[in-house]
Order: sequence, then C-alpha cells, then structure tokens
Amino acid sequence: MSETIRISSKLGQARQVEKLLLDEAEKFGYGEAAIFAIKLALEEALNNAIKHGNGFDSGKTVEVAFDIDARQAVVTITDQGRGFNPKSVPDPTADENLEKPCGRGIMLMKAYMDRVEYNKQGNQVRLVKRNG
Amino acid sequence: MSEKLNKILELASERRGSAAVVTIRGSVSISDAERLAEKLETFAAEKVPIVVLDLGEMDFICSAGLGAIISCHVKSRHHHGVIKLVAPRPAVRELFETTRLTKLFEFHDSVEDALAV
Repeated sequence: MSETIRISSKLGQARQVEKLLLDEAEKFGYGEAAIFAIKLALEEALNNAIKHGNGFDSGKTVEVAFDIDARQAVVTITDQGRGFNPKSVPDPTADENLEKPCGRGIMLMKAYMDRVEYNKQGNQVRLVKRNG
Repeated sequence: MSEKLNKILELASERRGSAAVVTIRGSVSISDAERLAEKLETFAAEKVPIVVLDLGEMDFICSAGLGAIISCHVKSRHHHGVIKLVAPRPAVRELFETTRLTKLFEFHDSVEDALAV
C-alpha cells in the first residue's frame, strides 16, 4: 500500500498516522521488533518535523508518504521548515550528553531502522525498515 | 501488536513512606510525554527523596518520554534524590541500553526491591 497524507503541526495528529502505518505493517506480517522500531522512528521523525521543523506553526503541514509491502516499509516525512544539518547534532550517548533531556531522536531512528536518509536541505527524512 | 503500542498512557502514583511510586501503563508517545513530565516534575519539586517508576506495564516510550525521566533525575539530584526504574519490558529495556541511559539509572526487579535498597 502506498499513500501520501498531510497532517497539521499538532502532535495529536501524529498518533493517527502512526496507527494507520503500523496497522498496515502488521497486515504484511511484520514482527514485534519491527513494529516497535517503526513506531519509534515515526514518533521521532514526526516530533522533529512538527516541533523543530514547523515550530508548531498551525499554518504549516507535515507530509507523510509511505510505501509498505511484505518486503519493506518506506516512510518519507517532510516538514515546511528551513531544515537542519543532522550531522550537527551531538552524540547523545557520549558521557557528557547523557543527562540532556533532548537530542536522542536521530540516534534512535538510526539504531532501529535499516536506513535513515535526510535530503540536502534537512527538512525531509526517509526511513526504511525491512521485514524480517 | 500495533494496538498495544498505541495504548493510551495511564499514570498512577502513591506515596510509600518518604518515597513516591509512579506506575506507568501503556504507551508514552510524543503526544503524552508532557503529561509524564508534569507528573514527575511535581515529585522533583516536592523534593521527594526516592521516586520509583514501575515500568512493568509500559509498552513503549519515545525520546521525549525518556527526556521527562532524565529531567526528573537531574532535578532530583539537587536534593540528593534518586529515580529507580522497575521491571521494564525487554523492548523498553533495550531502549535504555541503546541510549546508554542504563548508566544513569538503577534498575530493580520489583517495587519492593527498589524501596528496600
């Protein structure tokens, strides 16, 4: 199944999109660990898009394009912000950063997904999780 | 499975002597993390010496939820308070290991164990 959905910059709307995508992955037989990974990556990517990308601006939207089949789940999330350089985010697992409450989203996406790619502007992330 | 990860967050708390025990059930998603942060903030503000988080029925937590626990840990340290985590499920435990937050927190098998130490 492939589809593109546009949501407003509200965290509550992220839950509905997540449910749709996770239900779809479940239909294709993705296992518990893969479902957990996709949920986590969606949470982090949508949070980044709504909070850091669009700055909770109600006039801006987030586009979620997904293509899920029995082989892999591919989700591309695009915000309407100026973008950022993901390489500029400090390593949250470094001792000096462990007590910082923020900054773990990108690391978690990379740890749990098979591929995480940003566009040049840094306002779009493409997430890939293989089934099995 | 996906139904489980989308369960609404339920928070319950009780005082056990000078300690506070917070039971977290369901999923700590981005839309719920603020509620967890507010709950934990009250115990840090009251300078509760031991805050025990019972994670046995918590199915999921996002980084904002982890951030709420870290903030409580940092604030509690000002009054020599401590946060203790109880019985996280394997997937959640793995999340703490991946982020190396196992280095910040004590983990216990039960609330009683956490209160006894």
